[in-house]
Amino acid sequence: MLIERLSIWQKIGVYAATFVFLLFILMPFIEMFRVSLRPMSHLMTADFTWWSDDFSWQAYRDMWKTVPLLGLYIFNSIFIATAVTVLTMVVVVPAAYAYARLEFPFRALSLGGFLAVNMFTGAVLLIPLYRVLRSLSLLNTYWAIIIPGVAFLIPTGIWLLRSYLEKIPRELEEAAFVDGASRMYTLRRVVIPLAVPGLIVVGTSVFIGAYAQQFLFAITFNNVREIQPLPAGLYEFVGYQDVTWNEMMAAALTGVLPVMLFFLFLQKYLVAGLTAGAVKE
Amino acid sequence: MATLDLRSITKSFGTASVLKGIDLAIRDKEFVVFVGPSGCGKSTLLRIVAGLEEATSGQIVIGGTDVSALAPVDRGISMVFQSYALYPHLSVFENIAFPLRVAKLSEAEVKSKVGKAAEILQLTDKLHLKPGQLSGGQRQRVAIGRSIVRNPKVFLFDEPLSNLDAALRGDMRVELSQLHRDLSATMVYVTHDQVEAMTMAHRIVVLNAGRVEQFGTPMELYHHPATRFVATFIGQPNMNLLPARVVGQDASGLTVDIDGGPRMTLPVEGRAAPGDRVEVGMRPENLHLGQGLTMKVRVLERLGGVSITYGMLASGQRLCAALPGDAPIREGEELSVAINPADAHVFDASGAVMRRTQAPALAA
Repeated sequence: MLIERLSIWQKIGVYAATFVFLLFILMPFIEMFRVSLRPMSHLMTADFTWWSDDFSWQAYRDMWKTVPLLGLYIFNSIFIATAVTVLTMVVVVPAAYAYARLEFPFRALSLGGFLAVNMFTGAVLLIPLYRVLRSLSLLNTYWAIIIPGVAFLIPTGIWLLRSYLEKIPRELEEAAFVDGASRMYTLRRVVIPLAVPGLIVVGTSVFIGAYAQQFLFAITFNNVREIQPLPAGLYEFVGYQDVTWNEMMAAALTGVLPVMLFFLFLQKYLVAGLTAGAVKE
Repeated sequence: MATLDLRSITKSFGTASVLKGIDLAIRDKEFVVFVGPSGCGKSTLLRIVAGLEEATSGQIVIGGTDVSALAPVDRGISMVFQSYALYPHLSVFENIAFPLRVAKLSEAEVKSKVGKAAEILQLTDKLHLKPGQLSGGQRQRVAIGRSIVRNPKVFLFDEPLSNLDAALRGDMRVELSQLHRDLSATMVYVTHDQVEAMTMAHRIVVLNAGRVEQFGTPMELYHHPATRFVATFIGQPNMNLLPARVVGQDASGLTVDIDGGPRMTLPVEGRAAPGDRVEVGMRPENLHLGQGLTMKVRVLERLGGVSITYGMLASGQRLCAALPGDAPIREGEELSVAINPADAHVFDASGAVMRRTQAPALAA
C-alpha cells in the first residue's frame, strides 16, 4: 500500500504505531548508551535524570584495561558469526536450489522435517550436543561454537532462500538447459547472479542469528578465554565485589558497532539490488 | 540441416492424456507451424521435441537419428521461448554467447560467431546493453540470436511473438520468414494465432485435444479442411456452419435442405442417405449479395475494403458475411446473401468433411 493514499488520520496512526514500536525496540539501547556515559558513583542514585553534566566517555577508555582481552572478544564474535554465515550459505544455496527445482523422494517430508527441527531451541539440545562435541574432541575450539551455529541456521536458510529461488522464471533455466548447460553451470551463471538480493537477505538473517546464538554455545562448550565471543566475554565485567555496569554497556555497544555499520551499508545495497535485479522483464 | 519425424508420440500427466499418438514427418528446411486452441497440447509437443519433457511413449527422429533419449543440446535443436528467457544480468553479447560459453569455445570464435549473429539480426550496436534496456522486438531478436549461434539442425519457437504488440508482430512475422530463408533451416513454430500460421508456414499442423486434426499447406487447410474443427479454426472471420438435411445424392453432388433456408445442390462426394443431418460450411468471404439466405443484420463492421456483417436467419441461426466495403446495408434491415455451391463445404454428423469436387486446384 502506498503511504500517499492514506488519509491524514491513517497516516498519524501509522506513524504513532511505528514510534511506539521503535521506542519499545530501541529503549534498551538508549538506556545502555546512557548507562555507558555515567560514572559508576551515579549509577545507583535513586532520582532519575535524563541528562547530567558529569556524563563522559571515561568508560569507553577504562573498559580496555578492566578486560584486557576485550578486543579479541569482539574479533571472535565477528569471526564466529562470519564463519557460521559462510558455511551455512555454502550448504544452503545448493540445498535451497534442489528444493526449489528438483523432484526427489521425501522432498516435502524432509522440508517439513527441517521446520520441525527448528522448533527445538538450542537449549533443549545442549546436553546431547555437549556429548557429541566431546566425542569429536571439539570442545574448547572455535568449531564448538561454529558447528552447532551452522546446524541450527541451515533450516531457516533453506526455507527463506527456496521461496526466493522459486520466483526466478523457470524458462531461464530451461533455456540454459537447452543450450547444454549443466545444473551446476546454470546455478553458477544464471541462478545465483539473479538471486543476489535473496542471498543478501538470507545471509543477513543468518549472520544475525549466528551473532545472537553464539552466547549459549560459547558458555556451554567453551572455557578458553582466547576463543570466547563478546557476549560471553562481557561476563568479565562482573567482579567479586561489584559490576562495572557502565564499562560493560560501553563494551557491548562498541562490540555491536562494526556489525551495525556493516548492515547500514548493506541495507543501501539491498534496496538497490532489489530494484536492479528485475528478474521479470 | 535435417528432417524431423515424430512417431506415435503420447504424453500423459498422471491420468490426464495430453497427446494421444502424434505422427508427423517434417521435411528438411521446412517451416512447420503447430496451431491449435490453448490446451490442445501444441506446447507440450514442442517441449517433447526439445527434450524439456519426456514423451510417455513414441520416438523423435532428427535427420534419421533417434534422439528420444538424448539431452536437448545433443539433439541439435535450439529453442526460442515465449518470454524470450533472456538473462537480465548479462549483456546482449553474453546472452547470445551463452551457448558458446557452455560449449567452451575460444574467445575469438565466440566473438566472430556472436558478431555474425548480431549482424544478421541488426543488433551490432546493442551488444553492450542489458536486455532491460531493449524494446520488445529487440529482445526477441536477442533470443533468436542465442538460438542461431549454435547452428542447430532444427529451430523450435514457442509462441515467440505473443508478447509483442500487433504492429510489431506483423514486422517480426516478416523478419522470421526472411530469417528462415537466410538460414534455410528446419523450423517448428508453435502459435495459437492462425494468422501467424497461415502467413509463415509451409505446412500447418492443426492440433486439437491431443490429436493431429490435419497436416497440410495453408491453402489445403483453407480449401480442403479435413474436419469441421479445422474449417472453423482456419479463416477469419470463422466459417458459418448451417444445419441441413440431406434430400438426395447424384453425380452432380449432394442435395440438401438448409434449415430455414433454400434447397441447394452442392458438388461434394461422400456417403450420405436421404434424411441424414449434415452441416453446410460457408466462409463469410464466399457469401455475396443475391437471392438465397435472408438474414436480419444485427451488427455491421465497416472496415473500408470489406463490411463484416453479422446477422440472424429466420430460424435463429447466426450468419456472418464479408461483403464489399460499400455494400448498401444497414443495421436492423433485412438482407439476402447467396453462395456459389462450389464454395460450400459439407460436414457429416461426425464432423468429417465430404470431399469437394470443384474446389480450387492445389499448388504443390
